[in-house]
Amino acid sequence: MPPTRSRNFRLLSHSPQISLATRRRFLQASAAAVSGIVLSNCARNLSTSSSEADPNQTSSGGSAANKTLNIYTWANYTDDELINGFKNATGIQVVVDTYDSNETMLAKMQSGGGKQYSIVYPSDYMVQQMLEAEMLVSLDKSKLQGVDRLMENWQNPVYDPENAHSVPAVWGTTGLTYNPDKTGGDIEGWDYVWDNADQLSRQLTMINDVREVMGATLKYLGYSYNSTKQAEIEEAYNKLLEIKPTIASFLTNGWEDQLASGDLQLAMAYSTDAIALMEESPDLKYVVPESGTSLWTDTMVIPKSAPNPDAAYEWINFINEPENSAKLVERLKISTPNEAAFDQLPDTLKQDRNLFPSKQVLAKCEGIAPVPQEIADLYDRYWTQLTST
Amino acid sequence: MSTTTPTSPIAGSSTSPNWQRKLKNLIQPLVLLAPSGLWLLLLLVVPTLLILELSLIPGFRLGQPAGDYGIGNYFEIFQPVYFQVIWRSVMFALGTTLACLLLGYPVAYWIAIKAPKRWRNLLLVGFILPLWTSSLLRAYAWITILRPSGLLNSLLGAFGLPGQEWLNRSPAVFIGMAYSFLPYMVLILYASLEKLDRRLLEAAADLGATPQESFWKITVPQTLPGIAAGSLLVFIASLGDFVVPELLGGASSMTVSRLIYNQFLGATRNWGLGSSLSMILIFAVSVSIALLLKYGDRDAAQS
Repeated sequence: MPPTRSRNFRLLSHSPQISLATRRRFLQASAAAVSGIVLSNCARNLSTSSSEADPNQTSSGGSAANKTLNIYTWANYTDDELINGFKNATGIQVVVDTYDSNETMLAKMQSGGGKQYSIVYPSDYMVQQMLEAEMLVSLDKSKLQGVDRLMENWQNPVYDPENAHSVPAVWGTTGLTYNPDKTGGDIEGWDYVWDNADQLSRQLTMINDVREVMGATLKYLGYSYNSTKQAEIEEAYNKLLEIKPTIASFLTNGWEDQLASGDLQLAMAYSTDAIALMEESPDLKYVVPESGTSLWTDTMVIPKSAPNPDAAYEWINFINEPENSAKLVERLKISTPNEAAFDQLPDTLKQDRNLFPSKQVLAKCEGIAPVPQEIADLYDRYWTQLTST
Repeated sequence: MSTTTPTSPIAGSSTSPNWQRKLKNLIQPLVLLAPSGLWLLLLLVVPTLLILELSLIPGFRLGQPAGDYGIGNYFEIFQPVYFQVIWRSVMFALGTTLACLLLGYPVAYWIAIKAPKRWRNLLLVGFILPLWTSSLLRAYAWITILRPSGLLNSLLGAFGLPGQEWLNRSPAVFIGMAYSFLPYMVLILYASLEKLDRRLLEAAADLGATPQESFWKITVPQTLPGIAAGSLLVFIASLGDFVVPELLGGASSMTVSRLIYNQFLGATRNWGLGSSLSMILIFAVSVSIALLLKYGDRDAAQS
């Protein structure tokens, strides 16, 4: 759906492009950050942003700029060890700023507030959008090292063919986190919810995103996550109505404490959020539904406004050194798309199906893709009905 | 009003010519009103007109060629599901307003009339203190309190009372929103109660009125403008709130503000429909303000 701005509003044409897919929207993510403070479990979310930014080291132009690399990324994707390691290897000081939604990042970059950043971490669909807005540097493959051994799913991604402008950095899935004490054992997927709908009164939260919720249901019914067939979408809606009484709320974040305290039996969640919670509450479990799910990717890109592209290439290469990448996975419990790094992981992590689902499961997963306008309208109409009846 | 219509030339006619006075009378209000007028024009009137224009282009979407003008967007609103959403928003707002009035009036009455004078400002500040924290934070605090194993049910359990399941239902929305907007109501009611003419109450007592009679026949009518203003403020604010309903209201808490949000930033990006929904909301709020101002004033004058 390329934007054709033939008869646009003059006043509006300056405003930032608004996203189509909506993983981690501003409200939900900032809500999570705030809840992190109020519920005093801040260790999880808020550790990275301020601790790493050395207040004495700002990109104040001149010769110092070559020694400083400003990175704009999600929380929990970098840590002190990584940054110190990079400084020891290259002599470049890294300053990290974090954002909590792709839309926030895009707005800042488009309004000129992100001129200091040489590396940004947009998600899959956002890479597409930034490409359409011509914001990204086409990567010089001769300067890249270590990106030739990517896992199969990321060798030629839909959002950026041939990885021409982006290098995949972190990926994850959407699945179910649950409390085995409450569910009475392990669960395999969405079957559990539909089979026990009458006993699950308001015991489940789902992600506050129409495409994720409808997509999971479509998958459960055996259709595509990105179905464009009206009959299938309607069937999914009716199927969702069956389990409406089990849904306590639609929350992307904010379910964590309710799940840990046993007020909820299960929650639909992004794997990174679920794994972070499980570090604190080891009794909880995460499962990628056997019917298949959505697969998302956060990438590294170099914006055209980057003041220090050379350092950016060094950063990408440093991250993709198998040893560095493997250690990062161990410390931060994030999934890497780098096959060479995966090989260096200890067996416990290699076999951690939350971080690295099996090939059979991955084969059933899809990335959320844009759909035609009238289909998006249809999704939205059913969403309005679902959240108001 | 009388200052802007200088029809009588008696004063000052001997010292300065008539046209000079007329010019002065013309410029003075202009100078005084210009800063706020410009502000309102740029940040309220122009954006509202822009929304109005967008609402008149059926199915307008950013980045796509705009169609011809028409009122298709407004027809699209005539769907049962949208009425349901609007109805729920209005109910949430009305319930919140009523709750704030019932809770806020005694508090404001006590602070303004009963409490020792030197404590009043401190009490007032103490009461509006919650406003200094983010409403999002307060909503999360309510989740912690209201969830099944939360503070409320622990307390009820300690007294041997049955637990309540309010979270993710309408009661939680009313609690959360009333808590958010109560300080506004109290502030306005306080201002209105403080100006209450005590001599009227004394006269009523002298003439044999019971405290209840004088409350209903003097205090309430005297503070009716304050009640109207406070209710209006709370109603409008809660009609536009979607954070609290979404976080506390559970799976069936779609409000009209969230619906508009979804039209602009959600899956569809139907800015045309979103704009027409906004215009309906603006219209509804304007009408309710007009009605309340008219009848609120008349009632006050009649009593």
